[in-house]
Amino acid sequence: MIQADLNTILPEIILAVFAMLGLVAAVYTSKDKLAPALVWVTGILMVLLAIWIGAAGGVDKIAFNGMFIDDGFSRFAKIAILLSAACVLVMSQEYMKRRGLLRFEYPLLVALSVVGMMVMVSAGDLMSLYMGLELQSLALYVVASLRRDSAKSTEAGLKYFVLGALSSGLLLYGASLTYGYAGTTLFSGIIQTAIHGEVSVGLLFGLIFLISGLAFKVSAVPFHMWTPDVYEGAPTPVTAFFATAPKVAALGLFARLLHDAFGAAVSDWQQVIALLSVASMFLGSVAAIGQRDIKRLMAYSSITHMGFALMGLAAGTVFGVQAMLIYVAIYITMNVGTFAFILSMERDGQPVTDINALNLYSKREPGRALAMLVLLFSLAGVPPMLGFFGKFYVLRAAYEGGLAWLAVAGVVASVIGAFYYLRIVYYMYFGEEGSELETNRSPVLWVFLMASAVIMLLGVVNMFGVEGAAAAAAATLVN
Amino acid sequence: MIGLEHYLTVAATLFVIGIFGLFLNRKNVIILLMSIELILLSVNINFVAFSSFLGDLVGQVFTLFVLTVAAAEAAIGLAILVCFFRNRGTIAVEDVNVMKG
Amino acid sequence: METIILFAPLVGALICGFGWKFIGETAAQWVATGLLFLAALLSWIVFFTFDGVTEHITVLRFIESGTLATEWAIRLDRLTAIMLIVITTVSSLVHLYSFGYMDHDPQWKEGEVYKPRFFAYLSFFTFAMLALVTSNNLVQMFFGWEGVGVASYLLIGFYYRKPSANAAAIKAFVVNRVGDFGFSLGIFALFFLTDTIDFDVIFGEASTLAETQVSFLWTEWNAANLVAFLLFIGAMGKSAQLLLHTWLPDAMEGPTPVSALIHAATMVTAGVFLVCRMSPIMEFAPEATAFITVLGATTAFFAATVGLVQTDIKRVIAYSTCSQLGYMFVAAGVGMYSAAMFHLLTHAFFKALLFLGAGSVIHAMHHEQDMTNYGGLRKKIPYTFWAMMIGTLAITGVGIPLTHIGFAGFLSKDAIIESAWGGGSAYGFWLLVVAACFTSFYSWRLIFLTFYGTPRGDKHTHDHAHESPMVMLIPLGVLSLGAIFSGMLWYSNFFGHADQIGKFYGIPMAAEAAAHGDDHAVTDEAGHGEEATEEAQGEETALADAATEDHGEAGEHHAQLGGEPGDGALYFGPDNHVLDNAHAAPIWVKVSPFIAMLLGLAVAYLFYIVNPELPRRLAENQRPLYLFLKNKWYFDEIYDAVFVRPVMGLGKVFWKRGDGSIIDGFLNGVALNIVPFFTRLAGRAQTGYIFTYAFWMVLGIAALVTWMSIGGGN
Repeated sequence: MIQADLNTILPEIILAVFAMLGLVAAVYTSKDKLAPALVWVTGILMVLLAIWIGAAGGVDKIAFNGMFIDDGFSRFAKIAILLSAACVLVMSQEYMKRRGLLRFEYPLLVALSVVGMMVMVSAGDLMSLYMGLELQSLALYVVASLRRDSAKSTEAGLKYFVLGALSSGLLLYGASLTYGYAGTTLFSGIIQTAIHGEVSVGLLFGLIFLISGLAFKVSAVPFHMWTPDVYEGAPTPVTAFFATAPKVAALGLFARLLHDAFGAAVSDWQQVIALLSVASMFLGSVAAIGQRDIKRLMAYSSITHMGFALMGLAAGTVFGVQAMLIYVAIYITMNVGTFAFILSMERDGQPVTDINALNLYSKREPGRALAMLVLLFSLAGVPPMLGFFGKFYVLRAAYEGGLAWLAVAGVVASVIGAFYYLRIVYYMYFGEEGSELETNRSPVLWVFLMASAVIMLLGVVNMFGVEGAAAAAAATLVN
Repeated sequence: MIGLEHYLTVAATLFVIGIFGLFLNRKNVIILLMSIELILLSVNINFVAFSSFLGDLVGQVFTLFVLTVAAAEAAIGLAILVCFFRNRGTIAVEDVNVMKG
Repeated sequence: METIILFAPLVGALICGFGWKFIGETAAQWVATGLLFLAALLSWIVFFTFDGVTEHITVLRFIESGTLATEWAIRLDRLTAIMLIVITTVSSLVHLYSFGYMDHDPQWKEGEVYKPRFFAYLSFFTFAMLALVTSNNLVQMFFGWEGVGVASYLLIGFYYRKPSANAAAIKAFVVNRVGDFGFSLGIFALFFLTDTIDFDVIFGEASTLAETQVSFLWTEWNAANLVAFLLFIGAMGKSAQLLLHTWLPDAMEGPTPVSALIHAATMVTAGVFLVCRMSPIMEFAPEATAFITVLGATTAFFAATVGLVQTDIKRVIAYSTCSQLGYMFVAAGVGMYSAAMFHLLTHAFFKALLFLGAGSVIHAMHHEQDMTNYGGLRKKIPYTFWAMMIGTLAITGVGIPLTHIGFAGFLSKDAIIESAWGGGSAYGFWLLVVAACFTSFYSWRLIFLTFYGTPRGDKHTHDHAHESPMVMLIPLGVLSLGAIFSGMLWYSNFFGHADQIGKFYGIPMAAEAAAHGDDHAVTDEAGHGEEATEEAQGEETALADAATEDHGEAGEHHAQLGGEPGDGALYFGPDNHVLDNAHAAPIWVKVSPFIAMLLGLAVAYLFYIVNPELPRRLAENQRPLYLFLKNKWYFDEIYDAVFVRPVMGLGKVFWKRGDGSIIDGFLNGVALNIVPFFTRLAGRAQTGYIFTYAFWMVLGIAALVTWMSIGGGN
């Protein structure tokens, strides 16, 4: 029995053991000199694990008496998490190295947080939920303040930590109430109590607190306040990481909790999620307009995008979950490319994040500017790009889920939001002559930027099969 | 007779005190850490109370996990605080506002 | 083969329009022209080998949406075959002609490339027109219909540096839009009523339509009448019939080959084609066809009167076109579709000839178009003169009365006038006869003013007038042959005995249909038919009223066209005896157009050869009438006052007030005030302090809890 259970979580075990061995090995040998190799090894290991999970799939397995669920949904999310984390790791290596940030802890902390995320999306119990979440969060607190000599970076870490701990507290309080009123921490048990008769008020309170805790992780308004500061303060590769894998994990956990544990009370949480969604979309769009720092801008952008992803979740249907998965897959692909671009922005060897630096960028780097233009259009949701189809899916899901008003609000918000993306395009192509921006000519960054832009264009054809995979994943989650 | 409600009331009170400690206190970051501990402990009271009331051990297991995580969390929090103090020479909550807008 | 005919022009247009940079200017033009000649050759082969049985050639799946399932298919029947030869022949000749005409156009500076564009447009137009006539369903037809509209717009506005050309192009487009609205309403109505847009199915349900009532515009309508009427509105727009005719004269702003191809020979006849194509429905819509007759006759008369006083050589021919289209509609309106198609065919030859001839004159006179500045050109440009002469003889209808020998127009126009009489439309008959007189007058006036008399206008231009190059003269020659012989060659097929027409169009005879296609019946009936015709011809000598009485008797044993709607290319209802009546028309009816023609010729001769002062004196004496005609019955002015100005005013209000103040104001207000306000607010909320952030989170959770307590309880 235990053998089968261990087999089920073998990918997580491998990654965790690797991280711990790496830690030990690096400490006892050459320390930071090992870091570049470790980055590559970690990245490759993650890709291999992703391939393994993808190839091995098929049978849904439940381990540890239901605490750990390995189904299509979790596999989809895990592959997305592993691949995006690997991309960001590989991208960040050179940037970190040149600024003396490439310590061996970095890839290992990322690996540990990825283990946490994998546990999150597979959680079948409030306990595994909490442990996964904390493993992820604790690692993220540390990487946020990775730049120990920078006031901004440590401040980001501190803010993230304090608010993150508060959100864990809220989540835990919700978990305790849920446990108390449902009599169990297993999702499969909780859903039973909901099916039998009315959902008790205590359970609803527990649900609200749980939602609040998770909303913090996906940075949904009004639990979003940490996002811009942490994005700005953290080293750019870390920001790139924040904007990709943890979003998938948090959304996956969100969907898992709402459908597996509270699937019988859709009408109770639907309005709450819709409220979070609409607030995120509008605040993200409106607040981003005032930003001059591209990392802060991307923070608000991620708030907006999470609003859209939540819209799919709010629909409360299989199609809604499918739309959310497609949306988030497209979103992380766009973000990998965009951050590859941001990582390459520098002047005199120092990173630049002011969007004014992009003035007339197209004159100097037409190829990159074009790729960035595609990505920005896609982020804004301009039709020929893949980003539009992501939006289209969630809008359709919301509409079909009976939330037409939410879909309309989404369209209005995306119109407002298009402004700040297009303003960057404007700067790049028609801006005024300003101080020159240099470009880091790292081939790795170039490849990720171009690949992401090309995917945005070519993905229109069949989305590289993501649509079908997401449909299958959503079907296993929602019964 | 002390019933479940009493425990829950105490836990809720502690929880609220912890939260208030987070945003009413503007002096010292250490107090924030203590407030967080308070929140986690209130949750533990909840779990243990429910566990005992339900006759189910899971709540107590959960409590142990929470305690462990809380310890790790405190360690990381203090480490970050030390880094911050080295950079800024202060741990006043009001000084943690380089980034805003 | 039909597929090649259809797509060769498209390929030509694409190669010429986009590929000229790679293969060179001249090569591109030759490719387009060559493909057109290929299409023309194949079309003639199709025309002569076609056996009268309707064929369907599927090209691709077109639209599938709900119950609307349609294929892109070529419907090949006699109507299509006729249109194929008309379109491809005229188009290929016009292509060839354009080599000469478009060379060294003064509108363009040295080194500017415009010819490939022109040829590409021409070829594209040809493709669209072919798509229209080969269509197997209404949507496909609408595609072609709009395609020719676009091509027409592009070609009228070809001289895009001339403001008047741009205005004319827009006018043509907008006026056509009115007609297209009717056409599309007709399509919707048919789809609504029959749940299909396929011709075969629609024709099959034609008789049911006649018994259906629909409610439209607050009134109950007979379905067949309504559909026929709506479709005819579309035809009115395309074929420049009265009320929607104003664009055609202005369309002469385009290069002359365009006028010949589009605004004389092909596109404007699309309306006639549409009415003939929908003959199964028209046959069940007596009120609508009566309207068509009246409107066609009125147009024929109106345009002819206006043509009397125009001085621009192209405008005269344009009004003549308008008038001749009226003739065709009269024929279609009284139910003699084959006569309409006959005139369509012959008209295409002689009107293209006239336009190309006029183009040759204009070319010779260095783009001078005013006839008052011509004169005495007969010697300078003899070939053009003879071509124009043949065209004029054809349009005025010169021939030997009471025989079937004459120029093309003689046979086809007389056929229509006889049909009008036979169809019992006295109004149509008399207006057409008068219009024939006017036609003769203005046509001869054109010849006399241009080629006879003394040179007027700029002496320098006259001195340098020169004959056009061979590429322009060859098309004139070919079209002259058509103008002379096409009438005599196909008279019997279009307006001969019923059985000949039936065979030509693949329409079964009435008795044959009854006998289920028994071969014996065919021969029998054919024999009967001939006898009957002889009988009928014998009776021609009888008095007019006697002939009408006899008609009943003659109709009894005269071969009668029959078949179900959808059999063959045309459908003649069982009560349609127009052909017999027309053949049985009294002599004075048959001779009347000829007399009218002679009258017109005589007056023209008197006015412009014998006494050139006469017209001016007449114009001064009858000034109001003269101005009335000169200003085209003031249609443009009335439209300007009734439609254009109010709409412009309304548009201005919407633009300045609605768009400028309200919409822009609102959006600017939102974009410049409200959104930035919230942006600042959001920025201010982001204080940077941990306690604020925590406070917001707590507020958030409090809000959610409250929301849930209030809303979630139920």
